[in-house]
Parts: sequence; C-alpha cells; structure tokens
Amino acid sequence: MLGSFGGLALSHLLARDAHGEDLNGGLHHPAKAKRIVQLYMSGAASQVDTFDYKPDLIKRNGQKFDPGGKVELFQSDPGPCMASPWGWKPYGECGKWISDLVPHIGSQADKIAFLHSMMSKSNVHGPATFMQATGFVLPGFPSLGAWLSYGLGSLTDNLPTFVVLPDARGFPPNGPGNWGAGFLPAEHQATMIRVGREQPIHDLFPPESAEFIRDSSEKATLATLEKLNRAHMDQRGGDSLLAARIQSYQMAARLQLTAPEALDISKETPAVRKLYGVDEEMTQDFGTRCLVARRLLERGVRFVQVWSGADNGFPRRNWDSHENIEKDHGQMAGEMDRPAAALIRDLEALGMLDDTIVYWTTEFGRMPCSQGSLGRDHNPFAFTSWLAGGGVKGGVSYGASDEWSYKVAENPIYCYDLHATVLHLMGIDHKRLTYRNNGIDRRLTDVHGEVLGEIVA
Amino acid sequence: MLDSPRYGERWGRHWLDVAHYGETHGYDKDKPRRNAWPYRDYVIRAFNEDKPYARFVREQVAGDVLYPDTPEGLIATGFLAAGPWDYVGHAELREGTRDKRIARLLDRDDMLMTVMSTFSSLTVHCARCHNHKFDPILQSDYYALQAVFAGVDRADRPYDDDPALFAKRKAILETLRKTELGINPIEAHIAELSSDEIERLQGDAEELGKRRTLLNHEKSEGKTAEQQARNAELDAESKMLAEQIREIRARVREIRLGMLDATERERLARLQQDEKRAKAAFDALPKPHWVYSAAPYFKSFGTFTPSLEPRPVSVLGRGDVDSPLEPAQPGAVTAVKALPARFKTSHEGERRAALADWLVDEKNPLTWRSIVNRVWHYHFGKGLVDSPNDFGRMGAKPTHPELLDWLAVEFRDGGGSLKQLHRLILTSAVYRQSSAGNAEFERIDRDNQFLWRMNARRLDAESVRDAALQIAGDLDLTMGGPPDEYFWFKDDHSPVYDYSRFDPAEHPKERRSIYRFVVRSVPDPLMESLDCPDPSLLTPKRNVTMTAVQALAMLNDPLLIEQSRRLAERLRMHSSDFGQQLDLLYRLALSRAPRPDETKLLAGYAKENGLENLCRLVMNSNEFLFVD
Repeated sequence: MLGSFGGLALSHLLARDAHGEDLNGGLHHPAKAKRIVQLYMSGAASQVDTFDYKPDLIKRNGQKFDPGGKVELFQSDPGPCMASPWGWKPYGECGKWISDLVPHIGSQADKIAFLHSMMSKSNVHGPATFMQATGFVLPGFPSLGAWLSYGLGSLTDNLPTFVVLPDARGFPPNGPGNWGAGFLPAEHQATMIRVGREQPIHDLFPPESAEFIRDSSEKATLATLEKLNRAHMDQRGGDSLLAARIQSYQMAARLQLTAPEALDISKETPAVRKLYGVDEEMTQDFGTRCLVARRLLERGVRFVQVWSGADNGFPRRNWDSHENIEKDHGQMAGEMDRPAAALIRDLEALGMLDDTIVYWTTEFGRMPCSQGSLGRDHNPFAFTSWLAGGGVKGGVSYGASDEWSYKVAENPIYCYDLHATVLHLMGIDHKRLTYRNNGIDRRLTDVHGEVLGEIVA
Repeated sequence: MLDSPRYGERWGRHWLDVAHYGETHGYDKDKPRRNAWPYRDYVIRAFNEDKPYARFVREQVAGDVLYPDTPEGLIATGFLAAGPWDYVGHAELREGTRDKRIARLLDRDDMLMTVMSTFSSLTVHCARCHNHKFDPILQSDYYALQAVFAGVDRADRPYDDDPALFAKRKAILETLRKTELGINPIEAHIAELSSDEIERLQGDAEELGKRRTLLNHEKSEGKTAEQQARNAELDAESKMLAEQIREIRARVREIRLGMLDATERERLARLQQDEKRAKAAFDALPKPHWVYSAAPYFKSFGTFTPSLEPRPVSVLGRGDVDSPLEPAQPGAVTAVKALPARFKTSHEGERRAALADWLVDEKNPLTWRSIVNRVWHYHFGKGLVDSPNDFGRMGAKPTHPELLDWLAVEFRDGGGSLKQLHRLILTSAVYRQSSAGNAEFERIDRDNQFLWRMNARRLDAESVRDAALQIAGDLDLTMGGPPDEYFWFKDDHSPVYDYSRFDPAEHPKERRSIYRFVVRSVPDPLMESLDCPDPSLLTPKRNVTMTAVQALAMLNDPLLIEQSRRLAERLRMHSSDFGQQLDLLYRLALSRAPRPDETKLLAGYAKENGLENLCRLVMNSNEFLFVD
C-alpha cells in the first residue's frame, strides 16, 4: 500500500503533524537531530594520513609490509610500509592525534566522534561509493537523503528536502546514481545544485533564449493555468492527483523565489567568507559549497550532500591517490580541511550544531604500504568516517584498526551501523523504515545495522 | 490500432522497463553500449509481429541455442544483458581476486533475477543468503539458477543477416573458443616459470614501471605553453620507458618458452597457429553486425575474458564468496512441483535452454499468470495482482483470482497471442467504462479495486515528450537503429553526459522516446521528473508523482520551450484568426473544441502574451497530461 500517493502523504503527515510535537520531529522516537550535512570524499580518502594515528607505522617506515596472510590489493602488489608524509600532534581536550594534513578539522576534535573501524564490502570505487551512499553495492537503490525525505518529509515548503552539491570538476563515480531515489517515488529524489554555474538548478527558470517569456507573462501564465486546471478538476470530482499537480506549480513558484536567495552568498560577512575560505583559490569551490550548505540548512533543507572530488580520471581530480599521496592528498585536503572545520564552527555559532549532524565519509580507505613508490592503493578493510553535532558525543573515538591501519582490530562496523545511528539520531528506527519493492520490504540498512550507542550523547 | 507499428513501440517500451534496458553500463566509468539497440528493435518487432509468447520467452533466455540458424535468437538474448554491468569489476580487477568473484556473482544475480522476476513473477534473489520462513524458494534453488548462467557474460556478439555467412562465422568462433581453451592452461603454466634471471628482469621492469607512473602523474592539464612543453617531454620519456619495459617482457617470455618441454612448446605453437588462421578467416568475412547480448564467448579486453566453459558455482554460506558449501547443479525452482527442479546437463547452452523450457512448460502456471497480469496492469493502471514482479507471499493478493486463471488459460491455450489477449480485454465491458466518479461506489471501494470505473491516468514520461513533438508536427516516425543522443557527450576515463549542453532548437525533428539513448548514471532531467524509472531497476510498474521539479521541467525544459515555439508557428500557418488557431490547438492537444468561457479567457491571455506562451500554457495543463 505504501508507495501510492496516499501512503506518502501519510508518512509526511505523521512526521510533521501527528507526532511532530512530542517526538521533536522524529518518526519512531524523539529526534536529537533535525538535519544533516554529509561531506563525501570521493575516490577514497586515506585514514593513514588524516585521523588514524599509528606510531608503529612511522617506526616501520620503509620496512617490508608483512601483516601475515595474503595481501590482496586492487591494482598492485604491496610495497613497503609507508609512514604518512605529514607529522602528527594531539588536539583539544580529548588529545586526539591528528595529522598536519587536516589541522582545521583537528581544531574541532572535541566535537567529533571518529569511527576508525569502518569496512567496505567492495574494493572498487563504483560499488563502494554506492554502498556508503545507499547501503548497497548495486545501482538503483535509494540514497540516505531519499530515505530521510521518505521517512521525515520536509521542514519547509519553499525548498527541496534533499540537496546535492557536486564538485565543480564533475560527478563522482556512478554520477547522480549516488543520490537517486531508486524505487522511492520521485518526490524524494535529490535536487542537484551546480554552485557557480549560471543556471545552478536545471530548469528552475526558462532558458535565456525563450524571449517570449517575460515576468508579466509568467504571472499571467501561472494564474491562467491554475484557472484551467481548477475547472478541469471540478468537472472530475476533485481527484487527488489533479489537486497535487496544481499544488506542485505553487511549490515550483516558491522554489523560484527562495532558491536564488539561498544560493546568494554575497551578503555573508567578510568574517564568514574568510572562515570558509571562499575568496581563496584553493578553498573557493568546496568553501563556497559548504557555506551554501549552511544557508540551505538554515532555510529548512533536511539533507545536504557536499562532494569533495570528481571521478577517477587523469590528471587526478579526487582522493584516489594511487601515484603520489603527498601531492594529491595535499591538494584535496587543502581544499577540504578549512571549509569542513568552518562548517562545524559556523553551525555552532548559529546555535544549529545541536540539531545538525555533520557526517564526513568516503567509500573506503587507503593502504599503509606504498603503491609504486609514493602512492597508496585501496583499503576496504579499515577506514575512518566521523560525525559531529546533532546528538553525537564529541572528542571520542570508536573502534580501532590494527597497528598498521590495515585491518580492523576492534568493533568492526559497516555503513549499515553508521546509517542506523544517523537514522536513530533523526528519530527513526532503521528496522521500521521500509518500502515494499518487488516483493521485499527494503531498508536503507538491508538486514544489518546496529545503532552505535557509544557515540550517542 | 493493434496493426499500427506504434503498437510495438508502445508495448515494447513497457517490456524494456521490465527488462531494465539501458544503453550504458552503469556504475563508475559508465561507458556507452553502442550495440544494445538491436535488442530494443527485436522487442518492438516481436510485439508488432505478435510473436507467440512461448517463443518470445525461449528466445530471450536461450535463443542463440534454441534457434541457432537465425540471428533473431541471438539478438533476443540482449534481454539477459540488458541490466547494469560493473566495468571496473569485470575488466580491471585481476583474475582470482575476491572482488572479481563478487563482481561475477552479482552479475549472474542480475541475470537470474531479471529472468525469474520477468517471466515467473518470483523474487528468487531473496534466497541468496539463506532459506526464508515465509517463502518457498530454497537457497539451493537460487544457486541452481546461478549455475544456469555460469557460462555467460555480457558482451558484443557478431551476427549476419545471411544464414550461410552466419553459420560460417559461428564455426570460426567455435574454433577460436577451443584454441583458447587449449592455450590458457599452457599460458598459466608459463606464467609460473621462474629463474634468477627472470626475477631480476621482472624487478627491473617493475622499477621502470614505477618511474613511468610518476612521470605520467607529473603531467598537468596543460593549459599554458610551458605546461604543454613539459607534458610533451614527459610523454616522450614515458614512451621510452614503456618501450624498455616491453623489451624486458619479451625477453622474459623468450626465456620462459625455452624452459617449456618440447611437446608443450609444440602444442602451444600449433594452437597459436590455429588461432591465427581462425582470426584471419574471421577478418576475411564481410563485416558483421554486433549486438550486446548474453555471451558464452567473446573477444577479451582488459581482464574481462570469457569462461569458455561454465564456471564452477557452489552454494555460498550466507551468500559469502569465501564460504562455498556444496557444488550447485543447474536448475530452477523446486516449489513448481509439476516439473523437475534440476537439469541433467553440464553444457552451457543446454542449461539456459532447459530453463527456457521449464519457463514455458504448460504445467508451469507462473509464466502464464505473470504475463496476462502484466497486460492487465498496463490497460487498467493496476494489475489483478498489484505486484506484477512478485506473486509470492510478500506480494499483493489477487483481487480476482478466477479471472486471472481464466485469462492465463485462455492465453496459453490460444497460442500465446498478445494481440488476442488485448482484444479480449479491450472489448470487455469493464474496459469500456468511463472514469467518471460515483459517490456510492466511491464510498464502498475508494481505490477502485473492483474496477467500477476506469482509472484516470497521467501520461508517462515518454508519452508526454512524444505528444509535445507530435502536436507541433515534429515527430519523426522513423523506426529502429542506433539511439538518438539528446545530450552532449565526451568519451573520457569516465564519460560525460551533459543534458544542459544540448540545444533542441538545432534538431528540427525528433523520434519517439523509445529511440532515446538511455544513460544509466545520468538521467535525462525532463524524463526523470516525469517518473521515467532508473534503468538499473526492474520496473514492473512506474510511480506517479507530482513534484515541484516536474512542474519546473514542464514549464522550462528547453525541449518544451522549443515545442511551444514550433506549435505556435504551426497555428500561425494554419490561420491568422485567433478563434481558428485556438480551435486547432485544442483539437491537437486536448482532442476537443474549446468551450466559450475558455475561448474568452484565452483570447485575452493570448493577446497580452502571445501564441508561444499560450501553447506552453496548454502543454502544462492537467488536461494535456491526464487521460480520462
């Protein structure tokens, strides 16, 4: 039954009205968080060079990498142990050791829960990127943002519920498939905003070449259209689909009014611009998108996904540093570190961090041994994601990798557990958020997932 | 209407939804499939020719084996290949790795899921990890089906219209398959041979390889003259290193061949000679056509190589490739008691042929119920079973079980003619009802489960686009052939498909949407907004939504803007009198004359805003988008 228009309206009502007050916007239990911003590092960001400190690896730098058993890599044979080219130091009251590659995020360590025992079911970018985005290694499944839209509905009538801000250089592996609605109805699909383009939202306005459309004609068109549509509906006894379509034009008009303002960062103060680094070449793209993400969240968007990095092409334009970790991670982290930290600080300053989750992730990690001479191959056996804000404990680390950061040694987890935790914080029981498709009650977490109680504040 | 070629295009589109047909691979590096379309044309042809359903099923599962003398059978297996394919998993991962085994497991999973969902309306893929309490499908059934597809991949296969030529080509391909089968174990042996010298040489090659990687990596995008000069230097150096590596590898091979015993060396030489001769014979034939289809044998590229013989398949504990249990025997579903559930064959083609026969057996009730329910679904907007891909316990219960069975038997015993089935349904009293409301019935059966009226429906994405072209007189009815690309394309490491850089004004005529090139990773924004499904999903029924994004696409998409312009032009050509213009617009777009109140309203509107805006307005009306 769910899946029909009526069913959807119901879930929407449940979220916004029926339980809205007592559950703080949650669906199954009181929500701690109302919205999420996800920072997705495309191409596989190295845990070994950022958040997973291994003194032993530094000691063994250049020695044979021999963790026991067969080491099966994506495209190479394992080289010697390779310490990170960056130094490490402790940050904050929690004393978390973080590399000099990401000092700004380091400065926020007391607000962050680091998850060091993440594993992926695939060692290949396409399936693995799908997995973190949708919970499945196959194409066609709904993304986290689509599930949240389905479960919780929107917080505003003026903007979409789920927005994606791709890297200016292009799409990650799998393209927009990563943020599809899959079998969920199209109203849960992401709205893609190409920040910095002349038309950031496809079809938001008529193309410039449509000279016959003017502001005055547009007003008359919408008014006349509504008259025709109402007359048509009245003859048919008020069909709910016809009513929904009339409503969709009203929503479209509101989006046209609200979106340009939401995307316009020109009125932000110089201090805020500086915080995000929007006026510096290195941080301009990612910084602008993080700032736009904050503006969208402020205006009621439920889920914003910000991508760092594009596809796996050459020259490198994402985190997939097979050849030279220092050069390529230096670039990618240089773009990402300051804006990501800025987002946490800014949300906190605005009083929004308490009910906004900042969720940093990547599709898998990188190897502690070298590939070629200066690069690192894929590591699906251990990598790091982190969460901050929105009911998450700060200054903690969950799980651990072994002495090299090669495999998980303690509390192994998959994206299922992370997704279950995020849904839990949003007031959703991940086992009860289901949608019947081709005979299966589908879940974001498939048949897996445990809420990570240790990192919930 | 059933005799119009448009019938095959319309119903073929439904079939392509069910088959999850797309023209790119999907996943990362979403490459175009340039030879997928012959299958799409096959589907349209099959509907237009009213191919008996049993033959339609048999061809799509094993046509290359069951109808070996016609290319039609081979083309039909494009069905098995229609879904997504993990390029990196198959063509870049090394043989023997865990992820490669996973890629193959999931590839067969997609094939068997597509076959069983489409033809039997069964969700067998639920049983990959273990048996379920609520479902009669066994885990061993699932792996029996995995074994059916253990010898096929998805790849381009050649075919010829001339049967004699086609037969000759197939004989050559069989020779090539056999020589490869002989060469592979010898090559595997050669690759294991080692000596101090070989190790030293390989170490050298590896070091050169590392240097080359770093050189290549130093290259920049080359925007300035200085960067370009540096890139050219790097290229030259890299090329030199590549040449050195090649020389070392040739030397290693020479040493290894010397280490083989004489009989093995001679055997290899003989096989290579045979292979060379067969390849030359293939090249000497006239150029073939190609179709992306189920392929037991194909030309290798990257690490993507044919199995040559079915790969061993085992039942996997919890579906994990590292936990093989007992070997799986090819077969189908044990719960269909009237038929043997396991097939006594080891041969690749016979496995699929056996499954095809199992599906179309008169004693298999699933197949016949499944198809009549699909046809009912497309006529009424809702099937007698409202989950057309799932007749299992998790699916919907039939609203009219006797009717379903009666139709299934009529259809089966009448020779499996879909056109007959349409006639039966279309001439029925239930189909000929209007969609008008009735307060009393509304109270008893609000969802119209018992069909007391016709369901009003919104046009699907393809119909909206086709109608917008048709009413302006711009619909090109040319059938078949390679698909039309309504995007800007760049073939990169990961190809780029950009719809915003396509200008419909440059394309005076366009074909029906079924001939649109369907990209998996990047959907067409207009089509997506109108609920055109993701072609990576099996879609037995489409969602119908009304979103703000859809409203914006209908108002502002460049195609619809262009059609407003062309439609206005058509009206002007027709008459200079507004009354006549409006009359034509209404007849074209809404199949009726305007009422006086509408004429009055729209005359005022058009005077202020022009005919283009008027055409755009009517194309945005609910009346244009809904069929009563």
